[in-house]
Amino acid sequence: MYCRKFLIVTVLSSCVAFLSALAGAAPPKRIFVTNELDNSVSVIDGATNSVVATIAIGNRPRGIGVAPDGSEVYVAISEDNAIAVFDPETFAVLRLFAAGDDPETFAVHPNGNIYISNEDDAKASVINPHTGELVAEIKVGIEPEGVAISPDGTRVIVTSESTNMLHVISVPEHKIINNILVGARPRAATFSRDGTTAYATSEISGEIKKVDVASGTIIGKMPLADDKAKPKDLLLSRDETKLYVAGGRANRIFILDAKSLEILNSIPVGIRVWGLALSADGTRLYTTDGVSNQVSVIDTVSEEVIVAVPVGKAPWGVALYE
Amino acid sequence: MRPFLNFGVLFCFGCQLLNIVVAEPVEDFAFLFVGDTNTSAYLGASQGLIEANAQGEFLDTSYELRTSSASETPNFEGIAIVAAVGAQQLIALAQGFPDIAILNVVQAESTQGEQCVNNVFHVAPSAAMIADANSQWQKVNPGSKARAHAWHASFEKYAAGQLNIRFRKQFDRDMDDAAWAGWAAVKLLSDTIVRQPTLSSRQLINELKTNLAFDGQKGLDLSFRETGQLRQPLLLVDGDQVVGEAPVRGAADSSNLDSLGIVFCPK
Repeated sequence: MYCRKFLIVTVLSSCVAFLSALAGAAPPKRIFVTNELDNSVSVIDGATNSVVATIAIGNRPRGIGVAPDGSEVYVAISEDNAIAVFDPETFAVLRLFAAGDDPETFAVHPNGNIYISNEDDAKASVINPHTGELVAEIKVGIEPEGVAISPDGTRVIVTSESTNMLHVISVPEHKIINNILVGARPRAATFSRDGTTAYATSEISGEIKKVDVASGTIIGKMPLADDKAKPKDLLLSRDETKLYVAGGRANRIFILDAKSLEILNSIPVGIRVWGLALSADGTRLYTTDGVSNQVSVIDTVSEEVIVAVPVGKAPWGVALYE
Repeated sequence: MRPFLNFGVLFCFGCQLLNIVVAEPVEDFAFLFVGDTNTSAYLGASQGLIEANAQGEFLDTSYELRTSSASETPNFEGIAIVAAVGAQQLIALAQGFPDIAILNVVQAESTQGEQCVNNVFHVAPSAAMIADANSQWQKVNPGSKARAHAWHASFEKYAAGQLNIRFRKQFDRDMDDAAWAGWAAVKLLSDTIVRQPTLSSRQLINELKTNLAFDGQKGLDLSFRETGQLRQPLLLVDGDQVVGEAPVRGAADSSNLDSLGIVFCPK
């Protein structure tokens, strides 16, 4: 409505800009990317989509996450058995804290704690990133990997890759309340906004599972119909109608109908795409294309790659600073 | 559960249904290992058992691995057999237990006779698969001394490194080809059983043939051919290093596992 009124007096491009401003549409301020083989984090300016800084972070950086208040960024530096903390404005590395053997993937809880999978110890750990204190340990299956936290913070899903299972953990009790068998090598999971539904990728069986969190039952599944598809990260669109899946060796992003899991589209990106991040306004999807040493920036409206940004060697994780 | 159900019978019309929904007894499954237990194949199967039970713990399912030496005639009524024996004895086992899946974890001496037997599954790669992998590798790397293996203790990719760490931690030795096959045999059995715990041993044979997508920690989903042979990538090992993977890129489609060995049974 505002747009139409505006159209009368101005040109279309202004109208689009106005609409964007109205919806709060703006690229994230910065995109942080861990480069697994460069021991660095690339800093991409969200407005120009170019690398503006590179942070020497530690050995074999993989998982990355931002504190709920945006004050600091966490990076799992696997070969240092630690998480490094840096300032998203100054890029100064602030401190390190121990994070178990070979830390890889974690998620940041709304209360600020870090939930991390300890791959070689078949457990998940809860760490206070301010004190480095180990808050809790939860025994899970073999090779735990993906960690997802429900938006209200009451549920955590840990995927056990070699036990083919999603463990649903209650917070703050830190008790497993459901174990859900899925396809071979579950790598990542994500919750719906209301926390009732979760989606997970299985890398080796090349499929997506949709689960009802409360009952622990599978309510949908979809093979990615591409022998090379070894899916890793997945995310829901902001309106929760679409599911974005990083297709791994399929070198493309799959877009699924979040309700039916029907494959709606796929977008070619670089080689071995694993990491995904979505802007707060939902219009930009960022992918880490590990073998192409680049981040693809996707316009989610046109479902096309706008630009591929060269970063460091073997980009792994991506996090946005809005 | 029991007292509650007994009490409930008096009051509740839906108790039969309730019984089905809430009763989750611990399910127990027995495997039999036939062969020398002083071998890496047995240690591999033992590692597989540890991992099967680690999963089973979360789902009220448990597994045991009984043993029988190669020289005795086993007496067994469990769900599946893991065999580390020669070709002749493998066939004898298959005939002795026609309704039980026999999983061969060592490369049998011949490559023909024991293929295409209804209840025999070859987890170890056949000699034909090894030969094809070697010749693909030679095409791309003429003169290379590397040879094809099912597994190697220095392999890192596809979480192979994690499996090697677990095995070394448990047994203080490297996981070799036979250890991998022993591990894979038990793990692919438990992965299948846990999804369908009501299958009979006879139904399990069909399930393995038609519905397997196993994560052998070698990067691709593994399944059985109609010959009973497990499709799998092989590793090219030179000295103590993994230098390549087969199917060999440049000589074959690297995701088509059927470029290695014999795919179909004779008509």
